[in-house]
Amino acid sequence: MTDISMTAGMSDELAARSDMIVSDQVDKWYGDFQALKGVSATIKEQEVVVVLGPSGSGKSTWIRCINRLEQHQGGHIIVDGVELTNDVRNIEKIRSEVGMVFQQFNLFPHLTVLDNVTLAPKWVKKQSKDQANSKAMELLEQMGIPEQAEKYPGQLSGGQQQRVAIARSLAMEPRVMLFDEPTSALDPEMIKEVLDVMKDLAKSGMTMIVVTHEMGFAREVADRIIFMEAGEIVEVGTPEHFFTNPEEDRTKLFLSQIL
Amino acid sequence: METMATELVIDDAALADSIELAPEEPSLPLGEWVRKNLFSSLFNTALTLAFAAFVVGAMRVLLNFVFSDERQWVAIATNLKLMLTQGYPENQYVRIWVSVAIIVVLIGLSIGVRTRTGGVSLKRISIWFVSFGSGILVAGVVAGIRPRFLLVGAILLAIGAAIWYGFGEVRRRGTFIPTNAMIYGGFALLLLSLWVVPYGHYAFKDGEFIAESGRTVANTTKQPWTVMWVLSLVAFFAARPILAFLGTKFKVLLGLLWVLAPYVIVWVVLRDPALDWDHVWSTDIPMALAFAALGGAVIYALTKPGLGEIGRVLAALLLGVAVFHFVAAFFGWYPMLQKARISFFLLALVAMAAPNFAGDRKNRLRLVYFWVGLTALVHYMATMANTASTVKIQTDFFLGGLTLSLFIAVTTILLSFPLGVLLALGRTSTLPIFRVMSTAYIETIRGVPLITILFFFSIILNLFLPSGMEISETAAIVTGFSLFSAAYLAENVRGGLQSIRRGQFEAADAMGLTTAQRTGFIVLPQALRVSIPPLVGQVIATFKETSLVAIVGGFDLLRIANNVIPAQSEFLGAKLEGLLVVSLFYWVGAFSMSKYSQKLERDLGVGER
Repeated sequence: MTDISMTAGMSDELAARSDMIVSDQVDKWYGDFQALKGVSATIKEQEVVVVLGPSGSGKSTWIRCINRLEQHQGGHIIVDGVELTNDVRNIEKIRSEVGMVFQQFNLFPHLTVLDNVTLAPKWVKKQSKDQANSKAMELLEQMGIPEQAEKYPGQLSGGQQQRVAIARSLAMEPRVMLFDEPTSALDPEMIKEVLDVMKDLAKSGMTMIVVTHEMGFAREVADRIIFMEAGEIVEVGTPEHFFTNPEEDRTKLFLSQIL
Repeated sequence: METMATELVIDDAALADSIELAPEEPSLPLGEWVRKNLFSSLFNTALTLAFAAFVVGAMRVLLNFVFSDERQWVAIATNLKLMLTQGYPENQYVRIWVSVAIIVVLIGLSIGVRTRTGGVSLKRISIWFVSFGSGILVAGVVAGIRPRFLLVGAILLAIGAAIWYGFGEVRRRGTFIPTNAMIYGGFALLLLSLWVVPYGHYAFKDGEFIAESGRTVANTTKQPWTVMWVLSLVAFFAARPILAFLGTKFKVLLGLLWVLAPYVIVWVVLRDPALDWDHVWSTDIPMALAFAALGGAVIYALTKPGLGEIGRVLAALLLGVAVFHFVAAFFGWYPMLQKARISFFLLALVAMAAPNFAGDRKNRLRLVYFWVGLTALVHYMATMANTASTVKIQTDFFLGGLTLSLFIAVTTILLSFPLGVLLALGRTSTLPIFRVMSTAYIETIRGVPLITILFFFSIILNLFLPSGMEISETAAIVTGFSLFSAAYLAENVRGGLQSIRRGQFEAADAMGLTTAQRTGFIVLPQALRVSIPPLVGQVIATFKETSLVAIVGGFDLLRIANNVIPAQSEFLGAKLEGLLVVSLFYWVGAFSMSKYSQKLERDLGVGER
């Protein structure tokens, strides 16, 4: 159990906003192995939080619990006032408000880019085809790839595929976006195009939780940085605090290894 | 992964329009090709020589068998009608020709509307001629010098060479003959041979054996086939103008016609059912209309966005009612037409699935149309299957010979495919009840020989069923085949389902798709594409297994060749000829399916590399 306050590292302005995600003492086991040990944090509306930590520290597991790709076994997760329980209706509600972008893109290879983006709006939000298509084209425009709409994912570069995946999530008009190592599977020259899109998204006021190893992105965009190790939150703070003046030894060790 | 993806970016133009085919690769000179591929090393040379010796030897055996004086090929020529239609009365043959006409017209239209047509280069055609010609030449020598062989071989070889040298390197590789022209041209040549060569001078006509020229029965074959060829060609040329006039609706219409054609052909054209029109007007049609209206209303209501829990409860209630009808039937509590019970059951299933596949209002209406169509089809089938045929036939099966084999194969595949997919989904389901039921079914059926199942369905099943639920012999056999085949199809589909990466499920879940939507839009389309090779293997197996129908009393192609023809007094013991022809028939069928599946795989693989 950590004794870090749920609102640690927040400026007064941030602390005054309403809660978007509350993670309260969340536990998760894989068999005997405890992957999450009482993870507690509050993410405010329009906040951008970057989660750092060595591999196996539970960062991905934690954000995957937030939209129920993994089931937490202890504690509470509350998204926009709705608690995640086994009730299918709550899960449906939360998933429609939380978008997710994966390391491996996970685009649907048998559908065109446009169909990838419009599938969920058409069948989950029950939008008409025209409505979904025009929204999708608008998003692809925003991502800088409108000319790829009729192609299949296999015909695109990795960076383009990840931008399609972001557009696909945004098409559901989520209130929160989760990014699970979005640039880790990309070639170096394509990382920037994806990060640029994410920066624009952060500026537009989207609430974001980003698991990444891109320190530059964390320093520039994050409101707060959460550092996790061995299934628990070790340190939380603003980027200045985190990169210039970390308190915990484990944080210092991690930073010395990667910087 | 990145570099792979970028390398494989496909040119838009190439995707959109493949009629403009790229010229064939230039090939090595003949001598060099032979040296590189056949005699590159000592081992390779030895292999080549051994294989060549084997091929020549096998050819010699086969040719000497086929062209031996002892062979009575006249037995086949005489019995062609028997092999194709068995006991179907000759004065009703016009029904068969109408069926064939429906199919060839649909084929003509379907080929005609295709925008992507392939072609074969002159180079390839030349190679075909040369290899076929030299094959016949070699055959003419190894089978003992046969002058006719040598002549035909030499002519084909000469044509091939003329094409090769007459057009020159560049045009040879860059000129393509459209596949459609080759297909219609090929059939035209076959037809022409019917008019020139007197194939049909032998036959049993009205029980009498005819074997003299001048009393030909060939007119019953060559004239109708010529009409069929012309019909198909007309349809082919009509397809484009119709498409231009009706737009893409025509393609939908054509698909619908293909779906309806088998039912119309089997139940109306071939059987000519003796319908009781009073019953049809008083019961059948009102009942179908009632189900269409009721079901349509239920589905439209249940797909209202944001209906939530009430919808699920209502659908579950409907399922309860439907199951209760079957229980009641089993104990004989109250009478009800079988098709009404089936309709209730289908309605419950569709009502449960519908909310997943309803989008905006247009989609909801589409679901209602789907239900109306399904109701029409089910009630039509049930009525037709329960009406006696006016066509008088000798056996329990109203079809025989090739028509019986094809009928069983087509219906079995159509019925077992959806069942197999459902079983595969059940077996991979997270709900234990579906998993246990599907697994039990699959393992039971796979543990029992097909013959046992056929015996069970043809003889024993009707003894178990309560009165009013019995099914006819043909239907029982098809049911047996379908249930058997479905278990194997299910395992093939399950293989495909397991090949779908976890990320696909996660992405679908993260977007908020329901389990049914995830399965229908994401998982199944990909799984089925992966399963094409084993699925086609199962389809081919089913196609060949239809010959087992002989064991339960059907006169299929194989039984006629094996038992009927050798027993005719004119052709006593002429068994091998028939078996060879039947093998050839099955091989052609199976090979075409295999080729088609390869094409399907290529077409569906667009962008998925």
